[in-house]
Amino acid sequence: MSEPRESMRRIVVAGGGQVGVLAAIGLRRALPNCEVVVIGLPPDRAAFADHSATALPFTNKLHDRLGIEETQLVLAAGGSHRLALRYFGWGGEGQHGTMPYGGTADPALQTRFAQQWGGGPRNIAGERPAGSLAEVLADAGRFAPPPPDTDTPLSQVEYALRWNPPAYRDLLIGLAQQMRVAHVQGRIAAIEPDGRGGVAAVAIEGQGRIEADLFVDCSGCGAVIASALSEFVAIDWDDTLPVRRVLLAPPGQAMLALEDRVSLLADGWLSEQAGRDGLQAVLAVGEGVSDEAAARALRSEPLAVIPVSPGCAREPWIGNVVALGDAAARFEPLGFLNLDLAHRQLALLLEMLPGREIVPLERAEYNRRAGLMFDTVRDTLALHYASPRARDVFPGIEPPDAVRVALDQYVRRGRLPFREEAPLLKQEQMELLAALGFAQGQAPQHRTMDPREMEAAQAEFGAKAKAALEFAPPYDRWMASVLQPKA
Amino acid sequence: MNESEPDPVRVVVLGGGTAGWMTAAGLTRMLQGRVAVELVESEDIGIIGVGEATLPHIRGFVESLGIPEADFMKATHATYKLGIDFRDFGRIGESYIHPFGSFGEELAGVGFHHYWLELQRRGLAGPLGDYSLCVAAALANRFTPPAADMSLGSTYGYAYQFDATLFGPFMRDFGLSIGVTRHEGLVTEVERDDESGDVTALVLKDGRRIEGDLFVDCSGFRSLLLGQELGEEWEDWTHWLPCDRAAAMPCTHATEDIRPYTTATAMPAGWRWQIPLQHRMGNGYVFSSAFVDEDAACEAIREAAEGEPLADPRVLRFRPGRRSKSWSHNVIAVGLASGFLEPLESTSIYLAQMAITYLIELFPEGGRIEPADRDEFNRLVDMEYDRVRDFLILHYHATERDDSEFWNHVRTMQVPDSLADKMELWRKAGRIEKYSDGLFYDASWIAVYVGQGYLPERHDPRTGIVDPERLRTAADGLRQEIESTVAGMPGHVEYLRRESARLAEAS
Repeated sequence: MSEPRESMRRIVVAGGGQVGVLAAIGLRRALPNCEVVVIGLPPDRAAFADHSATALPFTNKLHDRLGIEETQLVLAAGGSHRLALRYFGWGGEGQHGTMPYGGTADPALQTRFAQQWGGGPRNIAGERPAGSLAEVLADAGRFAPPPPDTDTPLSQVEYALRWNPPAYRDLLIGLAQQMRVAHVQGRIAAIEPDGRGGVAAVAIEGQGRIEADLFVDCSGCGAVIASALSEFVAIDWDDTLPVRRVLLAPPGQAMLALEDRVSLLADGWLSEQAGRDGLQAVLAVGEGVSDEAAARALRSEPLAVIPVSPGCAREPWIGNVVALGDAAARFEPLGFLNLDLAHRQLALLLEMLPGREIVPLERAEYNRRAGLMFDTVRDTLALHYASPRARDVFPGIEPPDAVRVALDQYVRRGRLPFREEAPLLKQEQMELLAALGFAQGQAPQHRTMDPREMEAAQAEFGAKAKAALEFAPPYDRWMASVLQPKA
Repeated sequence: MNESEPDPVRVVVLGGGTAGWMTAAGLTRMLQGRVAVELVESEDIGIIGVGEATLPHIRGFVESLGIPEADFMKATHATYKLGIDFRDFGRIGESYIHPFGSFGEELAGVGFHHYWLELQRRGLAGPLGDYSLCVAAALANRFTPPAADMSLGSTYGYAYQFDATLFGPFMRDFGLSIGVTRHEGLVTEVERDDESGDVTALVLKDGRRIEGDLFVDCSGFRSLLLGQELGEEWEDWTHWLPCDRAAAMPCTHATEDIRPYTTATAMPAGWRWQIPLQHRMGNGYVFSSAFVDEDAACEAIREAAEGEPLADPRVLRFRPGRRSKSWSHNVIAVGLASGFLEPLESTSIYLAQMAITYLIELFPEGGRIEPADRDEFNRLVDMEYDRVRDFLILHYHATERDDSEFWNHVRTMQVPDSLADKMELWRKAGRIEKYSDGLFYDASWIAVYVGQGYLPERHDPRTGIVDPERLRTAADGLRQEIESTVAGMPGHVEYLRRESARLAEAS
């Protein structure tokens, strides 16, 4: 007869950034009888997941599950919505494209695009019509988050949220306190091994010793607990990912927009993220770009210059220590994948939550799936650097085999091999590649698609888009109405 | 858009069985105008055609060919299928249904089966199948198509049980009607290009030469092109799946009712199927010749069959395994020529359909084969076969049976590492190894594990937190909702009759 596993009694979360606090909330919610202690180590500046002001649509689902309300984020943490990411100059100078969240779902519409806008470099610079409601809305600047339980013309629209990280973290801390998550402040002075490859306790400077069944390391790139284990091995992504420095510009003017931008410049890429507390510009450069050149590209003196050495843990879960977020994988903040990965890892940990006794095979299964997440994140980034112009800006980088296969399949056949645990939906990947300037080949089964079928798909989409535009208010007006103090 | 249309790729399909005609029809329909498909078959070669039960994927295939479901069902005397009833597999006297549907719903991120295990431990749960609408409908011999909304009524799928000897000809007629060219004759010689080694033509007994750019080998176990001509290696899986024969014998229906599911009953040296069609019951004993001889197996199926025999038992021979590559040079094998897995989970037609779908996706435009596409095809086909293989082995290995040599063998044999790890993960933590590509996801694995009494030692710690009474109330509520939903469904026979009457009126 199967018995429930004995529940963990105490979990230590190392790291007081937004990743650590959310992990603590998730764990505490899952196991209300288990003590959860956060060691408030401040994440380092290179911990991009911990400092990120946004993630991807998956985070909304996780927030939902953990009781973090979107309205609260909008009211108290500077929250705003992003429907699409625009790419400039990756396929060539002057080329641009859009990756809407959710992708273009209708294969007939995809086929029409492939026929009219794919088929060779001559077409990639052209203006491609929108294929998703998210994109149509972003173009028009109209949107309001749809109410969850009613069917509206906006119900199918996927979006990501942005926020103000300190305010968001405060909001999480408030929730964690309500849930009686414990908190200690202080440096980890000693890590006591448990003799089974894991950790028995940590000593906090001036606070004493804390034992725990599970240690979740959200301490940032240094991975203070995980990296102390002899079995901890870091895999280097230097050969695949060329960015070595990230420069942060001082915040710009407040900006309300349904899209963000990533432009490829002569010396690197520039990410511009809108937000209610100021446009955030980030420049990423490879080796051999001078500080002066970088500052010129950033168009301001950087607030911070952060060195990047990309890589991931070979096994993020060793013994009873799980490395999460930047402690498990570190890479440049391109496409807002950092925090998304941390959140998907957290969801995986919650799905596979162990008992006091950890079973080696569940650890192996967690590591297998987390490993797939890491690989697909690396490969999603590598797709960017494989784009026509990025090869010139970041020379000497060889795409991994899986990326080569994917690009070959996309360009010749209009298909992408399915990858388990990938950060983007297949349709989003298709849109990403088009936005990066790759010409989509035509799928054999769609080559002879009846033009009337494509017309019909176009007409149907047109009707949906019209309904969505009529339903959605201008985004700034919606935001103003929400923020207006109620009489 | 303005490229001139190249000449159609000449595809030659060898073999006129189920796989051959599915391939010919599929390529012709999906690659309209860009292929010219010729099919070579011989009346002197019989077809296996045991694939009488199918998986829900078949519906998509039939639909994409543009064939109305009703026509197809009428022509093949098809019935609806909600799953498979496995009897005596884990232990004699026990049975379970592996449904085309799920069990319960997850709660707070924890899978339903963990809560079920907890209720079971406390003596508060019925059999797992009580919490599946699909299982309950099947056991009540009721059927109605699933709802399109998000309600309980949408939590299942369905497939067909049909007469495989009629399905092949149906596909043939359809294929011929959309432009497949058929050649009757025996292949006596295969011509190949000296330099590339590619197949260039098939020479028939009467001297006709059928030239082609691409050859699809649907010649069954003989694997005339891929196996015999190109010598592509065969990976034998007999050590894991020892059944290598089937004695098939159709019968009349023994009762008025027609089950909306297939029955698989474990036997001393294998298992036997009962597949209810509109007009008869398909029966057969899948056995291992290492443990029982053919005569004894024929005798056993005669004894076991419930209706009146409509023919003598016919013995089919097969080998479980697959070619190490299903696409080599310009030859692609589909169906038995590529691999075989016994029909325990009705995967034969799915595996052929899967290969056809990937072939279309990776079709060599203009007949020029890119090695990358061939590699991708082989990777996908291997993944599908290997995942199904592990799932089938589980049915034999997760057993307590020790009443025959056969069961002792499969119970104690060493299984592939990939399966051993899955089973151990389940045993120790009640978790399923997750994948989204290929066949058979969580619910299928859980159905077989639980159904065969292979239960975990421990389940999710979170189940211990919930108040057992509240859990019971929720589970009972689900069970009642399922009961009342099933009570509102028509009987399977009634639904079949009503549908055919409705269609007769409409035509």
